Amino acid sequence: MRAVKKLAAFLLSLLVLSAAVFWFARLAPGDPLVSYYGERAERMSPADRAQAEAALGLDQPIRVQYVRWLKNALRGRLGISYKYKQDVLTVIRGRVGNTLLLGGVSYLLIFTLALPLGAACARMEGRLPDKVLCKLGTLSACIPAFWLSLLLILIFSVTLRWLPSSGAWSPGAAGGGAADRLRHLALPMTVVVAGHLWYYAYMVRNMLCDELGADYVLLERAAGLSRTRTLLRHCLRNVLPTYLSLMAVETPHILGGAYVVETVFSYPGLGTLSYESALYHDYDLLMALCLLSGAAVMACSMLAQAASQRIDPRMRTGRGEVTGRG
Amino acid sequence: MDERFVLVGIRPPEPARILPRRRRRRDVPVLSLVFLAVVILGCVFCRYTAIADPAYMDLSGCSLAPGPGHPFGTDAMGRDIFSMIWYGGRVSLTVGVLAAAVSAAIALVAGALCGLGPDWLDGLVMRLTELLLSVPSLLLVMLLQAAMGRSTVTGIALAVGLTSWMGTARVVRAQARQLRRSGFVVAARCMGAGFFHTLRRHLAPNFFPSILFMTVMNIRGAIMAESTLSFLGVGLPLEVISWGSMLSLAENALTGGTWWIVLIPGLTLVCTLLAITETGEWLRRRGRGSAAAV
Repeated sequence: MRAVKKLAAFLLSLLVLSAAVFWFARLAPGDPLVSYYGERAERMSPADRAQAEAALGLDQPIRVQYVRWLKNALRGRLGISYKYKQDVLTVIRGRVGNTLLLGGVSYLLIFTLALPLGAACARMEGRLPDKVLCKLGTLSACIPAFWLSLLLILIFSVTLRWLPSSGAWSPGAAGGGAADRLRHLALPMTVVVAGHLWYYAYMVRNMLCDELGADYVLLERAAGLSRTRTLLRHCLRNVLPTYLSLMAVETPHILGGAYVVETVFSYPGLGTLSYESALYHDYDLLMALCLLSGAAVMACSMLAQAASQRIDPRMRTGRGEVTGRG
Repeated sequence: MDERFVLVGIRPPEPARILPRRRRRRDVPVLSLVFLAVVILGCVFCRYTAIADPAYMDLSGCSLAPGPGHPFGTDAMGRDIFSMIWYGGRVSLTVGVLAAAVSAAIALVAGALCGLGPDWLDGLVMRLTELLLSVPSLLLVMLLQAAMGRSTVTGIALAVGLTSWMGTARVVRAQARQLRRSGFVVAARCMGAGFFHTLRRHLAPNFFPSILFMTVMNIRGAIMAESTLSFLGVGLPLEVISWGSMLSLAENALTGGTWWIVLIPGLTLVCTLLAITETGEWLRRRGRGSAAAV
């Protein structure tokens, strides 16, 4: 029953999201015909224009357009991209792998590295490595991703000429060898990981340090358990649910960061695609992309909630709220 | 107080006040505060700090390296970077403060509505925040920005403010739920105080310490968002000088070997953001200290 309720809430959210994006995208000034017909759109006669608009269904009120889009979307037809003149799904399918590679691997790296790093710092609270990490955490939150990208390009591509500064593969070697892909991934992935890792490690550290002050830690230490063992066996388990939900909530943050980084490095992923589609009024493509990232994020947050309820019985209250911490 | 200890023959407790006060003074981030003060004053009085007209394009002196005439060099359009920093800072800081104010105002009302209002309203607004949080905020700002048409300083501040109130609203909601049962709120409601009166006179002052930190962090986020958007070419146009629009020239500068066009505005931006963060953290520590004292 609860699963059904959740699914309903999920679908309803998607519906609202689609309506909002649809409405906002069409309020924007600018000419969608330019992205379909290119330069020609500006030289069209009024009659031709009207015909072109009618052909794309742009002459009707926004409500009517939305209802028609919704009907088509429910049948699995998400429309065509004005710029690429292809089915939206085909365009996305060509790019989604690249973004999953960049975003997904970075996300996993951040997720798995932040925990041991934070735990190590909590173990060494107040000592030098800990202080360095705290400072790095503050610093990384203050460096805009695009500037870090520029800096790395300046150092590694322009000055040292070690790594390529753009694209996902060398020209002419589309989908080529793994080494080539890796070389192109190195800089963008560094930016995404470096931009977030310290921050999350810092969060883990703070949560663990709070936890170390609890009474049960004192009891266990008095009973003769080592500090490390208490930290890893008991404190970490208490922190994990919060960490999971934090990571889930932060998915769009990391995703958004990856989007910017993709744009700076002209990496052919969903980020560059969303940026282009918002800029050139590629309505159907923009809709599909927003819904896709929205659905992914909401799914993540639901999964995290379910997972943390399984780990931590305290989370299992009526409306999924955390009520007090012991 | 102390006499009683003496009377029963116990050594009176040592005054414990000195310790926290000394610690508090050591915690003040002097460097950050001074840097922030210099930047803010320099930007407010940019007419006096700038050495040249920042909009003047001296095409015979494009991309000059830092030197005697131009301490920070000139950009690809021959504008003096030192002067642009001050004028650009004024725009960037304005966007930051304006956006943070917008988001704090929305967060206050939305959070209080959630905390005090009926359950269905609470559920609705919380769903809305989840929804807004589910789209990468940059995409959201771009959409809003596009929908509002021409990019202006207020426009971009509004767009950023409208998309960054969710976190603060959740904090406000949690606090409002705690406070609504307290005597003074119930008493005010009994005497017929309206929602906005209760919010302004009784709730907002209590939210203040926790909101202050979030708002300062929102200023940081807004400045960062503005620079990112302007860099991507969807924020402020090149003629409106801000730290972000100065950096939008940076991508071309990379290949030209004119590192100062990339580094100097960027470093200014990063240092300012750092100073803002340190100040925010300090305010939070102080707020927590005073809350504990009460």
